[in-house]
Amino acid sequence: MATVTVDVPERGWLERLESTRAVIALILLMWVPLNVYVMFGRSFGDFADYLLVPAVPATALLYFLTLRAFRESRIALIGATLVFFWLFMAVSAPFLPLVDPNEPIAPFTPPLTEARDHFFLLGADFKGRDMLSRAIWGCQRVLVWGVTATLVAYVIGTMFGLLAGYLAGWWDEVISFIANVFLSFPVMVLFIVILNYLGASGFNIVIAVTFASAPAIMRIVRGLTLDIKTRDYVFAAQTRGEAPLWIMLVELLPNVRGPLIVDACLRLGYTTVAITTLTFLGLGLQPPDPDWGLMIRESAKTALLWKFSYMLLVPALSVSSLILGFNLLADGLREISLKD
Amino acid sequence: MTLLLARRFGQMLLIMAFASLILFMIFDTEEFKKKIAVAELGGFAVSALSDQDYQEWLAAKGLDKPFYQRYFTWIGDIFRGDFGHSFEKNTAVGPLIADRLWNTAILAFWVFALMIPIALVTGVLAGMSEGSAMDRSLSFVSVFTTSIPEIATAILLTVFLALGLGWLPAKAAMTQGFDPWQLVLPVLTLVLYGFGYIARMTRASMAEVMTSNYIRTAVLKGLPYRQVILGHALRNALIAPFTVIVLQLNWLLSGVVVVEVFFEYDGFGKLLLEAALFGDIYVVQAATLIAVVVACTSQIISDVGYTFLNPRIRFA
Amino acid sequence: MTQRMHPLVAQAREQLAQGKLHRREFLRTVTLLGVSSATAYGMAGGILGENLVDPAMAQSGETPQAGGILRVGMQVQKMDDPATYNWVEMSNQTRHTLEHLAITGPDNVTRPMLAESWEPSDDLMVWTFNIRPGVTWHNGEELVADHVRWNIERWCDPVLGSSNIGLSSIGALMENVDEEQRLREGAIEVVDDYTLRLHLNKPVLSVPEDLYNYPTAILHPSFTAPFSANPIGTGPYTLTELAVGDRCILRRITETTDGQPFEYWGGEVYLDGIDYYNFDEDNQLVAFAGGDVDTIYEFGIEQLEFAKALPGTIEEARTAQTLCCRFQVDQAPFDDVRVRQAIVKGVDNTVYRDLVFQGSGDVGWNHHVAPVHPEYFELPPLERDVEGARALLAEAGYPDGLEVTIDVGNTDGPWHQTVCEIMRDQLQDVGVRLNINVMPASRYWEIWDKTPFGATAWTHRPLGTMVLSLGYRADVPWNETKYADPEFEAALDEAEATFDVDERRAKMERVEKILQDSAVMVQPVFRPVFTIVGDQVRNLQAHPTQYHQFNKVWLAT
Repeated sequence: MATVTVDVPERGWLERLESTRAVIALILLMWVPLNVYVMFGRSFGDFADYLLVPAVPATALLYFLTLRAFRESRIALIGATLVFFWLFMAVSAPFLPLVDPNEPIAPFTPPLTEARDHFFLLGADFKGRDMLSRAIWGCQRVLVWGVTATLVAYVIGTMFGLLAGYLAGWWDEVISFIANVFLSFPVMVLFIVILNYLGASGFNIVIAVTFASAPAIMRIVRGLTLDIKTRDYVFAAQTRGEAPLWIMLVELLPNVRGPLIVDACLRLGYTTVAITTLTFLGLGLQPPDPDWGLMIRESAKTALLWKFSYMLLVPALSVSSLILGFNLLADGLREISLKD
Repeated sequence: MTLLLARRFGQMLLIMAFASLILFMIFDTEEFKKKIAVAELGGFAVSALSDQDYQEWLAAKGLDKPFYQRYFTWIGDIFRGDFGHSFEKNTAVGPLIADRLWNTAILAFWVFALMIPIALVTGVLAGMSEGSAMDRSLSFVSVFTTSIPEIATAILLTVFLALGLGWLPAKAAMTQGFDPWQLVLPVLTLVLYGFGYIARMTRASMAEVMTSNYIRTAVLKGLPYRQVILGHALRNALIAPFTVIVLQLNWLLSGVVVVEVFFEYDGFGKLLLEAALFGDIYVVQAATLIAVVVACTSQIISDVGYTFLNPRIRFA
Repeated sequence: MTQRMHPLVAQAREQLAQGKLHRREFLRTVTLLGVSSATAYGMAGGILGENLVDPAMAQSGETPQAGGILRVGMQVQKMDDPATYNWVEMSNQTRHTLEHLAITGPDNVTRPMLAESWEPSDDLMVWTFNIRPGVTWHNGEELVADHVRWNIERWCDPVLGSSNIGLSSIGALMENVDEEQRLREGAIEVVDDYTLRLHLNKPVLSVPEDLYNYPTAILHPSFTAPFSANPIGTGPYTLTELAVGDRCILRRITETTDGQPFEYWGGEVYLDGIDYYNFDEDNQLVAFAGGDVDTIYEFGIEQLEFAKALPGTIEEARTAQTLCCRFQVDQAPFDDVRVRQAIVKGVDNTVYRDLVFQGSGDVGWNHHVAPVHPEYFELPPLERDVEGARALLAEAGYPDGLEVTIDVGNTDGPWHQTVCEIMRDQLQDVGVRLNINVMPASRYWEIWDKTPFGATAWTHRPLGTMVLSLGYRADVPWNETKYADPEFEAALDEAEATFDVDERRAKMERVEKILQDSAVMVQPVFRPVFTIVGDQVRNLQAHPTQYHQFNKVWLAT
């Protein structure tokens, strides 16, 4: 993303992060290794764990910066802490003293007990796998696929939104009609039809989420663009003879991102719910690697007794805390931008 | 207004035609036909079929014709009230969908009957005094419940209330005819997940109204607080939530899928998922059309209702 | 009843006395040869010096109570044409309306049903079935031999596409004309109204057993599909309501369609009705726990702990259902027998039974013949040989190990994946990295016979030779391994043509050994099937093929 080159009408919370360039670099340093690790880790063999080495300090540093930037909203701080807790778990999972999440040890061991020379803090599932280890490893896939899917939906939604809003006319008509077609499907119908057609996998979830979310994002961006394109600095750029694409990316985009980021946090929450639900229905991520949705799916069959309910509580609370984190972050950011 | 409605309905029909054509195209692929064969005959039986047998099977199902031909036949049949035949359930799609839709309507009715009052009361109470302890705790509850995926709520409720304490039936399969008790857990699950969103909307709207000048004036005039809230604030604060509530119909159509599947309640959502997994194209088609109608109609109602409630807004 | 004993019966008695034949196999063999089950149990008891009673005759001490409706949790499927059924659930829905010539019980013993007795010729090529007189159809007609002929002819019609053609007995009624299998002239002979004779073109022992295969229910000749629209049978129950994916309601039939009182030939039947309610496999046990149903079709091993905590009896049946983690021998790297052998050597087959099924089920030795099969020959157990496996891999050109991927569909439940996970851990020591590619069950059935390395579930079949013929002969449609070995097929032919069980078992040694040495699969376990029965339900036993037999079930109050 290019840095801001024009005068921003008001300095929002975003600009208060120390240096945009450094923050972007840190985000990339955290996100790229994690993504590569989860999506393609297998092809790196034993070397895969080293990928995450730079991501651990980057995540810690980012958390620190976020705390400083959001210090005035307690809600945002709680939200950021929850999200960063799981991010940190995701990047540091290989370095934590955890047993292999897929190794069967002692089935149905309740939490806080020892069995077969292993202390189960959160108990073991029906195959005897350590719940603590599974819960921590499980966050990787949810985070990576959830965020990637939302990100791709945003890139595509924003692109079409800018096109429709800025170019208007036929572009607007056609794009809006297609968006309306997708918006008239209930989200779950769209997910089921798309995933059933493409098959169940992480990459296909990205595609399905894009189809389901991009039209709504496009509408928001279109509305914001229609509003902004009448501003003076856009006219100035047009009179300078800058290309429409340049104007869209450099003049318009930076000025719509504030509301978009708040919306993105909310949407991250929805996407996480959707991925968990799809995985439960058997249309999402596939076993055997640990994943919260899968843990819920498995416990729905095996843990239907009072004494086994920890098997369900662990993944349910994990996924809920992450979604809660996203929701609180959205609330907090909105609160901060309202105060500005 | 009439013109606007006509335009919106026209657009809806266009979307329906477009969406169903795409579905026909998707379900026309070789893989999908194979999928239906596997779902119906089983993997072992399909691989024992010779190519000729397979073609005969396709012909018997009417799947050998090109999709556009089937598409136009299908549209023609719909005008005669025939929605096609379900491969999986071996019955006419029309009555099947009507039956399931009715079940979902019962579920939806109870969800709304519970969710709306709870959400509005929570939202109004929280928004009345922004920043108070009550506001903060109610807001947290509504954010928190919205953060638990429905499926997790559903299982937790089953484990605790049904299998643990034995207070409620675990499934809602209605094997012995309609039993309202079996509906409790599904309704509760949906209400818990759904009410937070409306509550937060109401709270925001209420908070905004409370800071507006005329409420301040009313309070300064010395009117009783109760009367200010009930007489002045509420009416204006409920305009925004109204549109959200109507749009929740659309959310419910998605939300019911996992709840109906989990509780084995024979409704629209479960039918849709089963049909999609089976490749039961005519059921998927009919279900999608209904979903589109519900989505578009709720959108229209929400827009019209908004104009009606708030005379200052007129459509351009 | 039996006037003349088949010569093979005397031989079987002798072998039982000498300890060459197990009791199970003795009972199965002599009943197939036409001896009644009561006599067979009596013979075995006499020879072994034990007091054996035919379980079908056993008295439990309690007086059965009539009345009540048995509620069963199962997937409710459509009931189109019983001769082309492809799911056991469908046949369960009709099993109490339509009946078979014979019935195989949970003890693997075949007893008379619509045929009151049968006699095979000495060479086992001519089978005479005595049709039971006094069996009434629900429309008031009496069952005659010609009705049975109509059914068998129908199965043999290639246009119908009934899987019964694959049974060795029905296959032996057919011949190849112009590249198409059709019924031989004179293969079915109606001697009189109550006698039907089958003329086979090769000796087959399993004829009565085959006639209880699930698509062999006897239909009334007036049948037109779908069965659910006009359900005429000979059983004590009739279909009163069918909603696919919801419910299938069966009720006692008291009156024929022409208004006469209906009397069931099979004596006392206790239940007023049987209700099947649709619950998918994950939900059946919960439905049972919640009191929605009295028994269920099946629950998986992963739910055993849950089931143990519920009031009710867990019924377990030993089966030949198994999982074949099979290679496709014409695809790299599995086209190299050394690679396959290395993988097989790296696996310890003995641990799966304990780790996956908590000690239930049977160990499989990679040749797909199960201990419950009568002709099972016990080969010496395979030893895990890590060093040997590494050496083979090096020899095959993979000194640094190998990475392979197995496709798993969990088509029978998540235990498939557990098997693959254990295999992955074991193969690590050999230097084979096993990736497990899990996919939805429906997706797996689209590729099951195409993937180079996949975990396919095979259902229970009463004979080991049946499975081997279906799956491992060259050019049979279900040959998922692409295995083709004339030597194996010759050995299998020889075993199939041998009727003396003892000799047959001896011949199976070679068959099993060839298949095992060819290393076409890792097949480490035969799974048990579990169901649960409520305490009020009496006389219900689990059947290895999950066939429901509820005619003598009753409900205590």
